[in-house]
Amino acid sequence: MNIEPTELEKAIVLKVVGRMDAENADDFQQACERWIAQGSRHLIADLDGLQYVSSMGLRAFLAVAQKLQSLSGSLILCGLHGLPRQVFEMTRLLSLFPVYDNLQQAIDTL
Amino acid sequence: MDAPFARLTLPARIDSVPAFHEFVRLGAELAGLGPPEMDWLDLVLEEILVNIARYAYQPGTGDIEVGYAVEQPGLLLVEISDKGSAFNPLASDPPVLGGGLADRPIGGLGVFLVKNIVGSLAYRREQDRNTISFTFPGPNRGAA
Repeated sequence: MNIEPTELEKAIVLKVVGRMDAENADDFQQACERWIAQGSRHLIADLDGLQYVSSMGLRAFLAVAQKLQSLSGSLILCGLHGLPRQVFEMTRLLSLFPVYDNLQQAIDTL
Repeated sequence: MDAPFARLTLPARIDSVPAFHEFVRLGAELAGLGPPEMDWLDLVLEEILVNIARYAYQPGTGDIEVGYAVEQPGLLLVEISDKGSAFNPLASDPPVLGGGLADRPIGGLGVFLVKNIVGSLAYRREQDRNTISFTFPGPNRGAA
């Protein structure tokens, strides 16, 4: 899994590419927590390149979203498709996140 | 049920998961399953293996054995065994799936996913071994 951050005016975009599993889900959570510690309150996870996510990845997404919500911020998801999208749907997590089809739509809402 | 089993034993550690993935994918190929199904199979294996790696041998260490057999074209039978303490993960309470973001527990989704992806699924304890067996794919997981 590769995580590429981009700073925007109102949010940080984290482009996640590859597979998020038990070995690396913590890397995503820690990357998000570093931005939160630096004052970021809106993170956009661009998941167009995410091919695979297991329950350890779901746990990381949930933990970050809960943290941001407690700070009046949000974790926004975009580009979800394939297995990751079905996993979010199966576990009824999709409705808990702001979800957009693509990055531009997510940026436009801020 | 008489199909020959291929088996692989590795340490019960999270870093063994990729090698088990590779091993069982060979079986999936023999069964004629395609790449989209391979990722779902990886997911089921990861969820079960991570549970064992984290909890079965606490506080010690041990091994996990994974075996597979092609039940019939398009259907793989997988068995995952350990010699850790007796534990049936399939008997755990279902996760809380309702409520808002703040109320959602962050764990407990792994076994739920497994149950939703595989076909038949069973746990047995015999000769000091925990064994989880499942068939793949299940009815909800076609070649999508």
